[in-house]
Formats: sequence, C-alpha cells, structure tokens
Amino acid sequence: MVTLVSYIIVSAALLGIGVYGLSVKRNAMRILFAIEIIVNAANLNFAAFTRYLNPPQVSGQVIVFYSIAAAAMEAAVGLALILVAFRLNNTIDVRKLNKLKG
Amino acid sequence: MALIDIPPDLTFVALAAVTIIGAILALQARELIYGAVALAISFIGVAGFFVSLDAPYLAMLQIAIYVGAIVVLILFTIMLVRREVGEEAKDSPQSGEGSVGLWLAGLLSLAISGVAALAGPNMPSTLPSGSLPVSELGPTLATQYPIPLIILALLMSATLIGALVLAKVER
Amino acid sequence: MVVFPPTTPQEVIALILYIITSHTFITIIIFPGFIHLTLVVMFLTWYERKLLARIQLRIGPLYAGGPGGILQPIADGVKLIFKEVMIPYKADKPLFLAMPLMLVLFAALPFAVIPFGQHWVIANLEVGLVFLFAMTSLFPSMILIFAWASNSKFPFLGGLRSLFQQVAYEIPMWVAALSVVMLAGSLNLTNIVEAQSKIWFIVPAFLSFIVFFIAIMAELERLPFDLPEAEPELVAGWFTESSGAVFMVIFLGLYMKVYLMSSLVTVLFLGGWWGPAFLPQPVWFIIKTLIVATFMIIPRGVYPRLRVDMLIKTGWTRLLIIALANVFLTILLIHSGILSAWGI
Repeated sequence: MVTLVSYIIVSAALLGIGVYGLSVKRNAMRILFAIEIIVNAANLNFAAFTRYLNPPQVSGQVIVFYSIAAAAMEAAVGLALILVAFRLNNTIDVRKLNKLKG
Repeated sequence: MALIDIPPDLTFVALAAVTIIGAILALQARELIYGAVALAISFIGVAGFFVSLDAPYLAMLQIAIYVGAIVVLILFTIMLVRREVGEEAKDSPQSGEGSVGLWLAGLLSLAISGVAALAGPNMPSTLPSGSLPVSELGPTLATQYPIPLIILALLMSATLIGALVLAKVER
Repeated sequence: MVVFPPTTPQEVIALILYIITSHTFITIIIFPGFIHLTLVVMFLTWYERKLLARIQLRIGPLYAGGPGGILQPIADGVKLIFKEVMIPYKADKPLFLAMPLMLVLFAALPFAVIPFGQHWVIANLEVGLVFLFAMTSLFPSMILIFAWASNSKFPFLGGLRSLFQQVAYEIPMWVAALSVVMLAGSLNLTNIVEAQSKIWFIVPAFLSFIVFFIAIMAELERLPFDLPEAEPELVAGWFTESSGAVFMVIFLGLYMKVYLMSSLVTVLFLGGWWGPAFLPQPVWFIIKTLIVATFMIIPRGVYPRLRVDMLIKTGWTRLLIIALANVFLTILLIHSGILSAWGI
C-alpha cells in the first residue's frame, strides 16, 4: 500500500544520493548532476505532500512549477560558469579550481 | 479493459527503482555522457511519480524542461569541456573521502526516513478525495501568486543575459 | 463469459476473442495504432518521392511492383536490412544502436493522444498537447547523443546544428499552439477538435497557423531548413555514420515525425475530423493530414536552403514575435466577443 511515508522515503533516498555526489565527486559536472538530483527530491516531496493534504491544494503544484523553472535557470547559469572555468583553467576538477587568480 | 489491474504498489516500486538507480548511475558511471543519459532516465522516473500523484501537467513540464532542456544543456557542455576523446577528470575519491561521503549521505537519508516512518501513524495513509484539475493551476498562478510570476519572468531575463555574457567568447 | 485467469481451452479462446474485439486493442494495434502507423509512414515515403519527382520533372519510383512503384518502400526496407551496419571506430556502441530505436519510440508515442475520430483516440489525456510537446522536446537530446556516439566530425557538427535549429523553433511552436489553446479552452486534443465544430481555428488564428507550419518544417529538418543534412557541407549531417538497419530505423523515425506533425496541424488548425458526413471521420482526418504533408513536401522541391545563422535568427526573433502578436490578437478576439457566434 502506497502511503505518504513511502514517497518521503524515496525523496530522502534521492537526497542522500545527491548529498553523496555533492560531497565526494571531483568533477564539476557530477556536482551539477547531484544538485539536480537534490532539487528533484525536493520537488517530489512537495508534490507528495500536495496530494496527501486534506483537501488537496493546488498551491503545492504552484510551488513545484516554480521550483522546476528556478532549477532550469540555475542549471543554465551553472553550466555557463563551468564553461568559463574550463576555458580559463583547462580543467573542471574542483580541487584544482581553488585559485581566484585568472 | 479492466481485466488486468496493475496494483499501484507495483508501479510505485518500479518507478522508485528507475529513479534511484538512475540517480546512482548518473554519479557513478564511467563516462559523463552515460551519466547524463542515466540522469535523464531518473528525471523521467520522477515525472512518472508526478503522474501517480495526480499532477500530469507537472509531469509533462518536468519532461519538457528537465529532460528536454537541462539535459540538452548538460550534454552540450560535456561535449565542450572534453580535453581529448576518451579522457575525463578522474573521479575516484581519495583515501577516506568516499566512505565519509557515504556515511554522511546514508545517515542523512536514514534520519529523514526514520522521522517520517515514526510519524507514520499520524500521517495520511489513504489518498484524500478531491482532485487537482489542471484548469485550476493557471488561475491560481495568475490570481493568488501574481508577484512570484513577475519575479520569475524578471529572473529568467536576468539569467538569460547572465548566461550569454558569461559564455561569450571574446574576439 | 470471460474469466481471468482462463483454465479451459474454451475460456482461452473466449478471452482471446474478447481482447481482439475490444476497443482498446483495435485502437492500439490496428487503428490509429501500430499497423496503421507503419502503413501510412511507408506510404508517405513513396508519396514524397513521387511528388518531388513530378515537381522536378522526372518520374520517381516506377518499377517496384504495382502501379507507379508503390512497393518501393518495401524494396528499400529489404535492401537496407541486408546492408551491413558499420559501427565507426571507437564509437559508443550501446548508445549508437539504442538511440535510433528511442527516436522511433518517442516519435510514435505521441500518436497515443492524437484523436483520429470522436472515439478513435488511444489515450484521452487531459494534458494531451503538453504531452506531445514534451515528447517533441526530447528529440534534440537524442539526436545529439547519436551524433556524439558516432565519434566523427561530420555527424557531430551536423548534430550540433540540428540541435540549435530544433531548440530555436520549439518556442514559436509552443507559443503558436498557445493561441489555439486559448481559443479552445482546454489542453485536451479531443476538446480542441470538438471546439472547432463550427469554425476551424485556422480562421481566427491565421498568423499562428503560419508560424506553426514554418516552425514544424524547421523541427522536422525539411528543406528549406535542411542545413543539418546539407550534402555538400556535411555529407548527411547527424546520421552520416548510420547504414543498413540503423539508417532504416532513423528514416522511419523521420517520416513518422512528419506524419505526427502533419496530424498535429490538422488537429489544432484544420478542424481534426470534422467534415461532411458522407465519409467517416477518420477518413477526413487522414485526407487533411495528407494535404498538410503535401504542402510540407512541395517546398522541398522549390525553395533553396537557408543559411544557418539566418535560420536561427528567424526562429528566435521573427517567428516568436509574430506568434506573440497572434496571442495578443487572440486575447482581443476572445474578449471582444466577435467569436461568440461560433461558440468560442
């Protein structure tokens, strides 16, 4: 039987995977993947609570709509930043991108 | 044709498997492009969750924006930041970091799941009656949340200009 | 009576008969599903070659059995199956072989929401139009992955150009369809067609129709938007390295997209299945779709190719402005009540 708790568990698992990627990976693209996974986990959580509220409200869906749009914008700017960092330092290993010069 | 009823548990478990395995593969795959494809599959899994949560419009929006735009951007950037064919920034974590990350992530998700499961009896377990029709989303956005909508539009313009300025090649 | 799970042979036969004559099975497998799709797409390839040949003052396929070479697509298919599938050196084999199949999958999937008649739709989604556009937005990424997996310069450049072009023309397409959604008041394709019972939406939303048609021709990479496969420059664009069965699958996917977009134009602007009652509704739908496909094939033999920067600039600036103008015009038309005579 599918309850609200099952959706929260899936969302928490996705959050855990995202946090693992964010803290361990060195490639800037993988860190971006991890950020997107975390945002998706949050969206899933919002949508689940929206549905299981009594009575279901549509404002939860408004939040998810907004979140999807905001995540798209943030991914665009993040990717532009990665491009610029690659052009200047010829690497996207975040351990090496630790100097403000250049 | 109501001969065969697929129990909702089966779809839930299948979608959860697709989403979580896609997310794990996105971070662990050897090549970045395989990771991007796995991420796209994970996003489609989340869209499936939205469909099962009575939000079909959000599901289609998720596919159109995430898989249709963000994954395209990601692929495009991956292809532009390769140094030579077949070489990626080596991703294997150094000595203690992988296990620390795993512990951190595992404890975090376990904590949240534990809190949720402990509060389980007080949480709604059956779907409340009532529906979320698509035709309500537009009017709600326009009448109850007009200012966030305008701010979103301004934010999008700022993002567009910012990304263009950042990625411009100086000639 | 039909029993599930069946135990005796009579019950098995009764179950099979029940399934075969059920509406779901007929719509999914026969019409407008699998068999109809394959037949019409094959017919469309022959039709395009014949039409283009007559425009270019030649004859086209003639010998492949039947009058006028009608079995030519089958002959092409058989030939392509027997050719060797060459996978380039160091190409990414799983992605190279999987992406054409995904292309065909996502080109055929939106047919589930297109209504060929009042009850001839496989899945009457409330958000049918957005589902279709979501599936359409998946194509650029699959083309890019396929082009990258070919591990060669011409396909890669062709894939990038194709990506730019298709992404640039998606937004005018969405905004043009927005006018139609406003006129019909629903995202459900069946409701959109039913709202056109008195007047086809091409009349109030004429500018939108023009923008949508041009945007579709650019999405499908047909001339004059043909640069991703310009022969003197890029050999064959993003599918240069495909041969044999891979090419056949891609070819089928392209023509399936043509049929999909033509039927979308029919649903949104040309009144779907409405027509005088002496022909059944699906027949009217297919006739209108083939007329739209004809008007998509004719420019291929008539116009020269657009340069890539002109192409992309047109998509982002001029078409988008015309589509937005039409949205405002539609708002004015609806609120002023001019269209109330036709029930809008």
